[in-house]
Amino acid sequence: MAELKTPQELGTDRIGKLLIRYAVPAMIAMLASSLYNIVDRAFIGHGVGSMALSGLAVTFPLMNLSAALGSMVGVGSGTMISLKLGQKDHESAQMLLGNSVTLNILIGVIFGALSLVFINPILTLFGATDVTIGYAREYMVIILAGNAFTHLYLGINCILRAAGHPNKAMIATIGTVLLNTFLDYLFIMVFHWGIKGAAIATVISQVLAFTWQCFQLSDKSELIHLQRGTYRLRGDLVKNILTIGLSPCLMNAAACFVVLLINRGLLKYGSDVAIGAYSIINSIGFMIVMMVMGFNQAMQPIAGYNYGARQYSRVLRVLYLTMFFGTCVTTLGFVIAEFMPDFCIRIFTNDPELTAIARNGMKINFIVFPLIGSQMVIGNFFQSIGMPGKSIIMSLSRQVLLLIPFLIILPHYYGINGIWYSLPASDILSVILGFSLLIPQTRKLKKM
Amino acid sequence: MDKHYCICIGRKFGSGGRNIASMVAKELGIKVYDRNLLKTASENTGFSEQFFEEADEEKTRKGLRSLFMNRFNSSNGFANNYLSNESIFNMQSEAIRKIHEQEDCIFIGRSADYVLRKSDRLLNVFIAADMSARVSRICRHADGMDPKKALSLIEETDRKRSSYYNYFTGRTWGDPAFYDICLNSTTLGYEKCAEIIVSLAKERLKI
Repeated sequence: MAELKTPQELGTDRIGKLLIRYAVPAMIAMLASSLYNIVDRAFIGHGVGSMALSGLAVTFPLMNLSAALGSMVGVGSGTMISLKLGQKDHESAQMLLGNSVTLNILIGVIFGALSLVFINPILTLFGATDVTIGYAREYMVIILAGNAFTHLYLGINCILRAAGHPNKAMIATIGTVLLNTFLDYLFIMVFHWGIKGAAIATVISQVLAFTWQCFQLSDKSELIHLQRGTYRLRGDLVKNILTIGLSPCLMNAAACFVVLLINRGLLKYGSDVAIGAYSIINSIGFMIVMMVMGFNQAMQPIAGYNYGARQYSRVLRVLYLTMFFGTCVTTLGFVIAEFMPDFCIRIFTNDPELTAIARNGMKINFIVFPLIGSQMVIGNFFQSIGMPGKSIIMSLSRQVLLLIPFLIILPHYYGINGIWYSLPASDILSVILGFSLLIPQTRKLKKM
Repeated sequence: MDKHYCICIGRKFGSGGRNIASMVAKELGIKVYDRNLLKTASENTGFSEQFFEEADEEKTRKGLRSLFMNRFNSSNGFANNYLSNESIFNMQSEAIRKIHEQEDCIFIGRSADYVLRKSDRLLNVFIAADMSARVSRICRHADGMDPKKALSLIEETDRKRSSYYNYFTGRTWGDPAFYDICLNSTTLGYEKCAEIIVSLAKERLKI
């Protein structure tokens, strides 16, 4: 949004060509961020042990909550900055950058400090036991100590994208993943620092990425750069940043709550090992989902532009094509999970007990995956044609609203399998919901 | 100096800003732009005029709520959501700048004062009125509306206008510091307001 251009090609070029061109960079960034999780968990699973993997898994809701707060500031200031740059109001954009840095430090330090103080009750709430809490605490103490840097790194990446430097943001993302992988290997496999090594690797790679970002943003010839005098918080700017960022933040927070419920359910009806198994399944599922998100992000400008230009047949064509690609990706996930689950699990562990639980969970969890692709695309489609309300319903339904009742009810009847069943059950319902919202819409579009 | 001058009029709902604007326009022989600038926006972008009108109605119908909802992830960096409020605001701004380059004119609302802030031939006016006068004006215009309803409509519309303006411009709607002159159409009367604006414009904008 930094430059105001509505490329005419969006209204004329071949839809397939457009979709691929927009999807490739988005998919690369999405894959990179999902690889981050996989790498960390793989090194911990193999290098430290399966209990450490479970320990890492219980820290996840807390990590996500922190990321949600970071993205609140990032999305809010990114949106505002691109708006101001579009109006050539560089002074305000500059102020927003400075304010977002201060806000990130403030929120990062406060969240980090509060979580450190209450670290034991928090981890217990998230499903830690006497066996796993040691690992979880060892990892989390270091992560929380570097929490402000995590927020700064994520926030500035949003701003880099909004300010018209998506490539720099991508370099930071990929660089962090590569660096983290290398350091994970060094600290865990060579130095044998255990789970602590993974945390140190994460913090170091984020600090270095942030340093690099600062270097990029200190170039005075750039439209926006870090500047003295912009860091003092201004009430009106803070209010705008936080209100814009609030809804994505709440969505993330809701997702954390669900992971918390799942972890506790797995613990109650299963064991610590089951929590580790879920984190393996989750990593694989997350990667597939992120690939669909890449296509979604590519669909957004194409569907939006053509909707605005009243070229409804092109709107429908890009919708159907994205649904097709999305379904291909999730079907690929389905095939891998159902027919070679051990291949995936071996990335994370060789432990036979963990493998058995993860295999069982994975087969159930992925059973309706081919249908999920279109559900995710539909949710995003509503957003791209300016109906964010329906879009929010769609994304909340699958991961929160429909899932929670199943998570509460099913385990009573099926034990631990009840938890695994909940996921595909809410998936199916949300697919039905998706199509029942979509079909009236496409009918309307066809008539227009 | 800019080739064309421009008068931007902000106004409280029901204060007769539009009437005054058309009196000024008639006197100076220039055009008034408010909703009709959407046509230019549509020509600029290739988006349909109807789309802009719908978005415009959406904005006034649901106000704050639609602002909040639309803010959800409006730009993710990889791809623009062309239908976000921010993007629509930018398209309208582009239209305002284009019209300003082509002719002398009056803009009513639409944050034109902020969009054209760098112009050196700009007169910013804000028009307010007594609440009772605004209520009776609304009742007169909308047949059969009772004063209570008119009052709540006024409050609602003012709230929407100020939240829209403050959000997109970072200024404060109706704050005298952001205008060259603020007029009360109840105490001065429409004709007098128009007269003042015309004479000020002639002097300040070197017409």
